[in-house]
Amino acid sequence: MVFAENLISNLFYGALLGSIYGVATMGLSLIFGVLRIVNVGHGAFIMIGAFTAFWMFTLYSLPPVAVIPIALVFGLAIGFIAFQAVIRRLVDAPELSTLLATFGIGIFIEELAKLVWGADYVGFSWDIGTLYLGPITVSYSKILAFFCSVLVAALLYLWFTKTKLGNAIRAVVQDREGAVVCGINVNRIFALSFSIGIGLTVLSGVLVTLFVPVGINVYMGGDYTLKAFVISVLGGLDSPWGAFIAGFLFGLFENGSYAILGLIPGVEPFALTRFVAFAFLLIILLVKPTGLLGGGE
Amino acid sequence: MKIRSYKPLLPLFLIYALLILIAVAVPGMWQPVAFFMFYVALGQAFNIFMGLTGYVDFGYVAFLGLGAYGMAIAIKYFSSLGLISILLGILLAVVMSILLSLAVGAVALRLRGAYFAIATIGVNEGFRYLIEGVRLWGGSEGIVLSGLMRRTFGRETANLLSTFFSDILIIAIAILAAMTTIWILNRKMGYALLALREDEDAARVMGINVTKYKIMAFITSASFAGLIGAVAWTLKLTYVFPEDVFNIHYTVEAIVIVMLGGAGTLLGPVVGGLIYGVLKYYLSVVFPGIQLLILAPMLILTIIAFPEGIVGFIKKKGKKSRISYYLR
Repeated sequence: MVFAENLISNLFYGALLGSIYGVATMGLSLIFGVLRIVNVGHGAFIMIGAFTAFWMFTLYSLPPVAVIPIALVFGLAIGFIAFQAVIRRLVDAPELSTLLATFGIGIFIEELAKLVWGADYVGFSWDIGTLYLGPITVSYSKILAFFCSVLVAALLYLWFTKTKLGNAIRAVVQDREGAVVCGINVNRIFALSFSIGIGLTVLSGVLVTLFVPVGINVYMGGDYTLKAFVISVLGGLDSPWGAFIAGFLFGLFENGSYAILGLIPGVEPFALTRFVAFAFLLIILLVKPTGLLGGGE
Repeated sequence: MKIRSYKPLLPLFLIYALLILIAVAVPGMWQPVAFFMFYVALGQAFNIFMGLTGYVDFGYVAFLGLGAYGMAIAIKYFSSLGLISILLGILLAVVMSILLSLAVGAVALRLRGAYFAIATIGVNEGFRYLIEGVRLWGGSEGIVLSGLMRRTFGRETANLLSTFFSDILIIAIAILAAMTTIWILNRKMGYALLALREDEDAARVMGINVTKYKIMAFITSASFAGLIGAVAWTLKLTYVFPEDVFNIHYTVEAIVIVMLGGAGTLLGPVVGGLIYGVLKYYLSVVFPGIQLLILAPMLILTIIAFPEGIVGFIKKKGKKSRISYYLR
């Protein structure tokens, strides 16, 4: 009985956290889909979002939910600058160059953040009450974060499918040359997609803070980069929607298997969960490289 | 076998000789030179795979990590054999990294590009969390050897092992890796790898057994990595922690070195490793704490301005001149 209750509450928590993972990975998948660039510095942008939420809360007591639009605009600006300064010159460069360049950007942002904010762990807690539902105990702020991320994903979906610009981006994902022939200004789409991708990632950093009360640190991103890789591969690597659903599944999987692996004596369930996740990643890559949710190429 | 095709070794050994001379002659320079040589050796080892095949192995540090564990296990469980346990450690490090490279090679080398890069990250992280998760080899507490080494080998020998002997071995590995590289470049394997790097499908159609050569380069590179991990980490630092030895940061350092110098060239990793090592060392002295803030923009600038790396750039400029005999 204890185990069942434990599993249920873990799965519920996993579903909430999974939606955040989803939003945190959509940007990575969007950038890969459009520009064919793997953003190795992904986590640094999540860190920026987390710090934005922290400072807005500490300085102006703005609740994280209100910081979401600020973080989005901030992220769009950073993404645009990074694109114009570096990525623009490397769009047709070999894969290796872009992997290194995005890594360099990530380090640069982390070190700049360290210079400005220091290397200490900080955190804040936004308390708006707690939900007690049977075995489940969860704070309302986390539930709110879940709804926010679903809303962001839904809005993005609408924008992608109903507007001309959104359709243009999807056209470039499908066939770059074909899009050029159709008169789409591909360079502008690249700039836009990169900015939106980074904007989304910074935004997700705000939501992340509601789940890690004292875990905000300039080097917090590396962990999220690795998770985002697993999730984006699960979702098909070039599809933001696949990434959102995969993030949701990953959250369930991560927290569910934590409860199950905790039953085995003599192991560390936290580390072993990660091991299972990466083993799973390898299996997917080998069996179906287009992702569990992606279509065939 | 033509002597001429081995001429490129000349400038390379000149650099090595100069470094060793500086280390021996200038007081206080032994440790800094050993620090540079670690990066030179790392670049050389990584170049054999990444430079020659064009595949980016983001999980490369796993081979160094496994090598470090191989040495640590040998010292911990066979310390009764005395100094023979060090030899055993070197052997175990190579064997373990070769075994892992065979396993990874069999599965991940089927993938290409970004998928290969992500898969190798998965291998590296998965391995680290397996060690921590099932508490293999001490789990997340790692293996600490300093006390044991002092007791079994005696204080002086243990000191000599970590401050002198390990550095000598690193230099030896760097020389060996350079000779292996030019040996590969001058053989059929070198030409096959060049063809495979430029266009794998075309190479396959031309009848080149690409899988064989890819795996051969992968195993060679991995065994050098295992050696470096065993010598430069376990023997020198006398401890192994999974968090450190599977840190993706070292993979990236290796990639930066190879890219900076010129991927697939003989001299590239040496030049790249030296520039990177010297900058990292002196920047941390002059600007402690912000050396990465300076290195990162430099890395980005190099990628944009010299995509072929420094040696690659010089090679292209001096194609027709006599300098080309000495560059490879």
